[in-house]
Amino acid sequence: MNADLLQGLDRSEAESVLALGKRVVLTSGAELFHLGDVAESIYLVARGRLRLTLPMQVRSREEDVMVEERSSGQTVGWSALIPPYRFTLTATAPLETEVIALPREALHGYFAAHPATGYAVSVNLASIIGNRLQLFQAMWLREIQRMVELRCA
Amino acid sequence: MEMLLMGACLSMFGLAVACLAFGAATRETRGADAGAPALEKAVAKAAAVAPARFFVDVPALPMAARGKVPIEALLLQLENHVRLEHAAAECFLESPNASLLHSRTTSAFLN
Repeated sequence: MNADLLQGLDRSEAESVLALGKRVVLTSGAELFHLGDVAESIYLVARGRLRLTLPMQVRSREEDVMVEERSSGQTVGWSALIPPYRFTLTATAPLETEVIALPREALHGYFAAHPATGYAVSVNLASIIGNRLQLFQAMWLREIQRMVELRCA
Repeated sequence: MEMLLMGACLSMFGLAVACLAFGAATRETRGADAGAPALEKAVAKAAAVAPARFFVDVPALPMAARGKVPIEALLLQLENHVRLEHAAAECFLESPNASLLHSRTTSAFLN
């Protein structure tokens, strides 16, 4: 499995980290975690897809609107490694999806014993979070630009 | 001679009927013309919002009609919009420059 969180680790290191996790199969439509839940595990998508949604008012009805999709090899739920350890999105599987759940406690214990692996994973995590930040910054600015155009039209 | 006069009378009668029909037809057109500027204005406005493209004329729905779009269709449009915006932002991150940051998409939400 070519996971973005484990980039740069050699095969045995990556397998050791994956061995800390538990494979979870989600049926189509199943929810992996909900906005506001306590985040105990970070997830690697092994196969399938996850929809990350946020609630939005549409015609006076609360609807879960997709803000991002994650597929095989990508990481979901990094709130499990960042205080206050609460999920800030809801994740659901639009089709049968398999994820590897890596518990925070197990990762912390392993990284304490293998600091080089911990460092490599932390750098990968920073890259994943940084990419999300830059992406949404660009999307936010595009929307602001449209608001400015509408106001000045 | 009688035949000639009868022919002339029928011709005059026919001409009169044609004149009346023409008058009635042009009066209807004038009546319809009164509403035409408003329609043309609306069409021009719609064309400005959604310009015609090769092979595709995107139907620009009036706001009242947009309210009648089923919520499921609206959510699909929103989802498609998010995917397109995501893709546009990814393009910008691959090669950051102002024109890619503000590149247009075909999102039905904006057109």
